[in-house]
Parts: sequence; C-alpha cells; structure tokens
Amino acid sequence: MINRETPGSSTVAPLGNRSAIAKTATVEAGGSVARRFDSHDTGSALWLMAPALVLYAIFSLLPIAATFWLSFNSSAGFNTASSFVGLDNYAATAADPIVWQSLWHTLLWLIYHVVLAGGLGLALALAISRLKVTQVFFRTAFFLPHLVSLAVVGVIWANIYDPFYGLLNTALTELGLGAFTQGWLSDPALVLFSVNVASSWQGFGLYMLLFIAGLQNIDHSLYDAAEVDGASAWQKLVYVTLPGLREVTTFVVSLAMINGLKGFATVFVMTNGGPFYQSELITTYIYRLAFQSQDHGRAAVLCILLSLLAIAITLVFNRWRARLSK
Amino acid sequence: MSTRHREWPVALGLAPVMLLILAPFAWLIVSSLKTEAEIGQADPYAWPADLMWRNYQDAWQIGGFGELVGNSLLNLAGVVLLTLLTCAPAGYALAKIRFPGREWLFYTFILGLTIPVQAIVIPLYQVLFGLNLVNTLSGIVLAQVSSGIPFGIFLMRSFFISVPDELIEAAKIDGASHLQILTKVLLPISTPAIQALVIISALSTWNDFFLPLIVLISPEVQTLPLGLVRFASTYASEYRLVFSGTVISFLPVIILYILMQRRFTEGLTQGAIKG
Repeated sequence: MINRETPGSSTVAPLGNRSAIAKTATVEAGGSVARRFDSHDTGSALWLMAPALVLYAIFSLLPIAATFWLSFNSSAGFNTASSFVGLDNYAATAADPIVWQSLWHTLLWLIYHVVLAGGLGLALALAISRLKVTQVFFRTAFFLPHLVSLAVVGVIWANIYDPFYGLLNTALTELGLGAFTQGWLSDPALVLFSVNVASSWQGFGLYMLLFIAGLQNIDHSLYDAAEVDGASAWQKLVYVTLPGLREVTTFVVSLAMINGLKGFATVFVMTNGGPFYQSELITTYIYRLAFQSQDHGRAAVLCILLSLLAIAITLVFNRWRARLSK
Repeated sequence: MSTRHREWPVALGLAPVMLLILAPFAWLIVSSLKTEAEIGQADPYAWPADLMWRNYQDAWQIGGFGELVGNSLLNLAGVVLLTLLTCAPAGYALAKIRFPGREWLFYTFILGLTIPVQAIVIPLYQVLFGLNLVNTLSGIVLAQVSSGIPFGIFLMRSFFISVPDELIEAAKIDGASHLQILTKVLLPISTPAIQALVIISALSTWNDFFLPLIVLISPEVQTLPLGLVRFASTYASEYRLVFSGTVISFLPVIILYILMQRRFTEGLTQGAIKG
C-alpha cells in the first residue's frame, strides 16, 4: 500500500516520520514486520492500541459501515428481516419534503449558532480581556451556562418561553412591554430562532474562552507600536486585534458549525421538531425515523447526509486554516 | 499598560450584560422557592413570601433524584476511567512508536472525530442490543467511551509528541519497556493533558443526553439530564416541582466549577485547541 499525502486532513500536526512510514509494506495479521520496523516495537504498539481499537471498532467503525448497509436495505424495525432495495431509500428520502425542510432548518440553525454564540463569545472576550482585577470574575460568571446539559437547558428555556408563566413574557409585561410578548415556541416563524437562542446561550462560553486564549497570544508589542503611531482604540481593534484573531476565529466558526450540526437536545426537549416540523433538524428527524417510525433505511440515508455535511465542514475549514497558517 | 483606568467603566458596563445572561438561573432559583400560587401570579420580580424548601424535598423524592445522581456518577466514573485507560496508551503508541499501519490508523480515528454520533445511532443500538447492553449502565459507558476515543487519543498524542525523544531513548537504554516508559516517564509529566481529558470527558458524560435517550430506557438506570426531562414532562403542570428539579440538576456542577474554575478553564481551553 503506497501512502499518499492526503491534502486537507491535517487537523493535527503531521505524524513525525511520515516519509519513513510511506512506502512500507502492508500490515499483515499478527503484526508481521516490514524491514524498517522493530518487531518488538510493533508488538508493543499493537498491545497499547488494542483496548482503544477494540472498543472503537465495535462501537464506532462497525456502526459507520453498517449505516451504509442499512441505507440499501428495507427494514420494518429493529430485529426484523431486511431485504436489499438498491437506491429506493435514497429516492424516498429525496422525495420527502420534510427532509428538505429539516436540511434547510439545519443550515439556518448553524448560521444562527455561529452568529449568536460565536458573536457573543467574541464580544465578551474583547470586553473582558482588558480587565485586570475583574477578569476572572466575569469569565467565570459568563461561562456558567456552558456547564449545563443541553437537555436541562431545554427544560430551563421551555419554561422561560412559557407564554403565561415564563420569564420572558412576564418580564416584558411587568416592564410595560406587553406588546412584545410572543408565543416564542408556538409561532412557526419564530420557533427555530427561539430554540437556537437557548442552545447558543449554553454554547457561547467555550467560544469566549477560546477567543480569550487567542487574544493572549497576540504579540503585545504590536499594540505598543500602534500606540506610538497614534492609533485610536478602534484602529487598534481593526488593524491589530482582529487580524491577530483570524486563526482562532476560523477555529471557533468550524467548532460552532459542527456543534450546530449535532444540535438535538434543545429541540427534542422544547418542541420535538414542532409546530408542524418548523423546528425539525436532520438529527431530530433521524431520531423520529429510526426510533419512532422504525424506518431504518431512510434514517440511514439521512445519517449519511449528516456525516457528509460534517466531513465537508471539517475539510473546508482545515484547508482554510492551513492557508492561514502559511 | 495605560489601560488600568478603563477597568471600572468596562466592569460597570458589563454588569447588566452579566445580569441578563445569568437571569435564567436567578429566576429559576427564586421561582423554585415559591408556592404554586405565587408562580401563578406571573411576576418574575416578586420575592416568595416564605421560602418553600419543601419544593426541593418533594421534587427530590418524586423525581427519584437520588437514584439519578447515583447513576450519573457511576456513568461518569466509568467513562473517565476507561477513557484514560484506552486513550493514554493509544496516544503514546501513535505519538512515539514507529509501527506499520500507524498512518492508516491515524486517519481511521480522524474519521471518528468527524462523524457525529447521531449519524451511526441505528447500528450502534443494534450492536448494544446484540451484546445485551441496552438499558444498562455498562452499555452507555462503552458507547460513550468509544465515541470519545478519537478526541482522547488526539489530545494525548499531541501532548506526547511535544515530549522530547531523548527522554524516551534514555529510558529505553535503561531497559524500560514501552508500558514502563508510559507509566513511569510520561504519565507523571502529563498532568495538564490528563487534567484536560478528565474534565472534558467528565463534563460531556455528565451532560450527555442523546446516547442515554437511546440506550437507557427504564427510569432505574437513567442519568440526570434524561431523568429531569422525563420528570419535567410528567409533572409539567406543577411548576414548583419542575423548577426545583431543574435547579437540582444544574446547581452541583456550577458550584464545583466555581470552586475549581482555573483548572476547568485551562482544561477546556487546552482540550479544545489540541483535540
């Protein structure tokens, strides 16, 4: 097996001896050894990898492969006979309007999450990073929502949005802003955004920490130089701070997109995809198809779609980051 | 720097933002101490006449929170322990031992890092069912460890790579095996990486909802987030119980975090960047 450099997949620093590993012979059962490898080392490596590899093979790799298999078969549920149906499930999925709706909602969901959670994380990081005495206090306080399980966040915000007793509508009414009260979760035009606010409230804290770490990495002498040149605070932000954050920003955006793609718990708890599928995401629709309608074939097609989206986002951002770090 | 004089104006400006962001917690805690009638008045600024600590007793008993917390703790201990036991050796092998297929394995784990667990959930359920692990804590532990393995391995690997080879060569000359190098030389200096891995896997296990929802069916084996969601939908009309149950679910972690916030912050930041 000749090793090819795979562009775009360098999430982490490349392996130490990449060129030495290239051009080696195949791995055979029992760890038979190619000339360049110490047989003792190979044996030890296999033993050290074994626990992780066994678990990972059974509970991750096998299911990944089986998902493809499921997508070509029809099955009426768990533990029932299935039969090969070719591309029928793919055709049925493409013809299902709720699939397209949930795909559209997922894309909106990603954008909302990046803007709300990423934006708030950046804004707070910029505000906090200059503080000396109170920085730790504010950082700790702003991070608190991130510690709460998204399912619990769903319960919390379902109550906040409760039309009669919820914090939002009652607070607005008491402040004389009764005109702004809404059916936050019952209005089809509003529901996806409302639920996303709950998820983003939970999510922004981590992005804020990452931005703070990014700000600390900016060379301080750049600010001194800008000050000598008489730059205003705004100019320092635009010409020093934001360019210095470019790498961490791409990282946060990719992380927020992947987190958004995995979004499930808040929607499941708060609306279960409703009303009228107006907050259905790909993940919640997978759950509905797989565990409620028992339609595994179509659920598997959606699983593959979800994986492809995740892979696409990862590849695009790795390319982008590789270009930035050059 | 000359920015010191900006401290208090900025802090003052941030205070209302903080109140707004933390308002959900404050509102829940205050409301959880109200009577059902007081909640019915729908005035979020009103203080309860008497602090109804009874709400907590009732919620704790009716919701079976003792059992839920116990299950969550067992779940967390199992995942953290197994994650360390699997990821530290594998990360070491990938970082410091040359063996055939290393590159190939590396990309296999990248695949797992990218694909969300929701995308493999149907066969995952079937595998657990086949192994008689559905509705058991062992089942949820194994599934969660496996889905966390790629991240854990990358985290440990990227830390071990930064350790100079000379350290390992020296131990080898002294006749140490790879296992000894890992346990006697590397792990003692790996506190930052281990701390990050423990905090991240503990927090994500404690808060996980999707896998428990699939795997843990009966109430006796359920974990805290899943149990709370079930409780909140069963007693949806009794706000005082839902509110106090919710506070029970988030308060312990928040207190723990405030006590150890520096470690949490370091661990989460390092983990997110390195993994």
